[in-house]
Amino acid sequence: MASRKKILLKVVILGESSVGKTSLMNQYVNRKFSNQYKATIGADFLTKEVTIDDRTVTMQIWDTAGQERFQSLGVAFYRGADCCVLVFDVTAPSTFKSLDSWRDEFLIQASPRDPENFPFVLLGNKDDLEPRAISAKRAQQWCQNKNNMPYFETSAKSGSNVEQAFLAIAKNALAQQNSTVDLYNEFPDQIKLTNTQKPSGSGDSCSC
Amino acid sequence: MASNIEVEPGATKESVLIPSECLENFDHMSSSLEEIKSENNSSVGSTYEESNFVNSNTDNFEDAIDKEENGSTPEYDLGNSTEWTSKNKHIFVLSSAGKPIYSRHGNEDKLAWLFGVMQALVSNIQSSDDTLKSIHAGDTLFVFMNKKPLILVAVSKTGECVNQLTLQLNYVFNQITSMLTLTRLNKIYEQRQNYDLRRLLAGGERLIDHLLDFSEKEPAFFLGAVQCLPLASSVRDSISSAIIGACHKIKNLVFAILLAKNRLITLVRMKKYYLHPSDLHLIFNLVQSSESLKYSQHHWTPFCLPRFDASGFLYAHVSYLADDCQACLLLLTVERDVCDVLSEAKQKIVEKLRRNNCLEPINESIATPEETAVNAGFAEIRHYLYKCKSTAQFYQPSLAPPYSKEKMRLIEIYKRSNQQLHNTARPLKLIFERSANEAIFSWDTTAFELYVVFEPLIDIACAIDFVTKLLNWVKKREDKLFHLNAPTF
Repeated sequence: MASRKKILLKVVILGESSVGKTSLMNQYVNRKFSNQYKATIGADFLTKEVTIDDRTVTMQIWDTAGQERFQSLGVAFYRGADCCVLVFDVTAPSTFKSLDSWRDEFLIQASPRDPENFPFVLLGNKDDLEPRAISAKRAQQWCQNKNNMPYFETSAKSGSNVEQAFLAIAKNALAQQNSTVDLYNEFPDQIKLTNTQKPSGSGDSCSC
Repeated sequence: MASNIEVEPGATKESVLIPSECLENFDHMSSSLEEIKSENNSSVGSTYEESNFVNSNTDNFEDAIDKEENGSTPEYDLGNSTEWTSKNKHIFVLSSAGKPIYSRHGNEDKLAWLFGVMQALVSNIQSSDDTLKSIHAGDTLFVFMNKKPLILVAVSKTGECVNQLTLQLNYVFNQITSMLTLTRLNKIYEQRQNYDLRRLLAGGERLIDHLLDFSEKEPAFFLGAVQCLPLASSVRDSISSAIIGACHKIKNLVFAILLAKNRLITLVRMKKYYLHPSDLHLIFNLVQSSESLKYSQHHWTPFCLPRFDASGFLYAHVSYLADDCQACLLLLTVERDVCDVLSEAKQKIVEKLRRNNCLEPINESIATPEETAVNAGFAEIRHYLYKCKSTAQFYQPSLAPPYSKEKMRLIEIYKRSNQQLHNTARPLKLIFERSANEAIFSWDTTAFELYVVFEPLIDIACAIDFVTKLLNWVKKREDKLFHLNAPTF
């Protein structure tokens, strides 16, 4: 089509509390970082425009709360997501171990059409901090078993890799969108009357 | 005042339209097409969802917006944001996933975060098996309508009540349905919850924009009625029979509608099938907002009438009668490929109307504004609305000073009176209210609704006397002002 359609991607960020989800988002959207920890209540919403292959894509980022008490909101928040970003803290092993449950929970709650190929991206955050508990190799291994989920090590503090990671997130989500055919053609417009079967193939517009 | 009214202008045994209560629940969607299909007469019931009100206070909306803006960044661009926040009404449509579909003001992409917040609010309440209907915060009213698979939200400082805003949201939902059909809308989201509906609605925002403006300016919407173009009944009948003559043999033609200047000229329908005023409003909106129709010889478009049948499309042949007669004819059928047949029928109709000298009276009526109340001999009456309930038709005179340049103020007066009469908690039958600017008489009977705006100093006895005279005046002209026959194919 000649005219470029607007594209909006819903991106949900998940992970244990205090792994830096909000900080990553703030770094990405506002290029700001604060050492102060403020737990997210429910979810935060941000909008960011990115350009991918000359197309402007709007990312609607849902930064969810990691605390367990907000998990009941999951269904609503995960519904209709185009991409899910899993975040863990490379210095905190427990945040890595819980990734499986975050991913499973997302797939159950969001129930995407094609769970096998649903785009996930894994971010190992706080790579500016020592000591490291989870090596890049270990994280990559985990990703390999998950349909080759892309993995990025980021620092919300320094901003390293953040831009690249989100670009990959957008690209993955976009690829998924493009791979699905336009639904409009899947449903016939015609109301079939009993005993009056009409020849198919004629469009809605009139050539007369 | 006697409660038994002998005078009931505009009433008739069989109505051309389905009678409607104003502010009724517009959820009802029937399956007329199914009926046509099976030739059965079974009616499909409607479901009304009862849900609880949730009222809570939130921060002022503007404050929230300001915080976000000051909080930082050029990315939070709301266009010209002071202009955006100062709008007295916002309308938003989003998917259940929280993806933006429509915003009346501003670029919905830039507001994507806000749509997320709206979805969160709705889902949060939903997760406790409840329904968020409204939030009252100072002078700002937030109304939510969760109409699967969409969520519609109105944020208003106009003083309109929850019911009125819900009605408007319902119209927006119906407008979207008219472009896609409810079946398709549901299927899309069943298959893909993350669907970006703007793809399918591309170009249709214009219809929604126009509908919103239209529904705020026109009493037809809150009255749930249509106004007719004044015509001698003999002329109207002759137009109807020209249409019947040219169309009665065309199979599956459901409705033929002739309209001009937002007024109905005639409506011919298939026996058994009725048109609801709210569907007719969508048709008026389609014609009004599509300037291009005037320049094309005819137009063929699928169009779903949600109250008639939300599951499928009707196909509309739309054309203006002639260069010398700017009335618009719509022929609505269930067949998708009979454009040629309908074009021919239209030609026949025009020829017949020309032969019978029907075009001149139409033109004349289009060119002649309705009389003002004062010119009709009611010195103390500035303006009025008369709605006949059984036929879902209304009449209003031309605007006169001081409202000629203040139409919106007059509409607001009417909306407020309408709201008072139909207040769900405390409905009223008769109100006489005097302010510094005007005196308003509102009356709801089983047969009609009447709203009369008087000079502020009029006394009650005199007002009642005028009302009686006015009803008689309308009664005397009912043949001309209303469409009293209900012609069928």
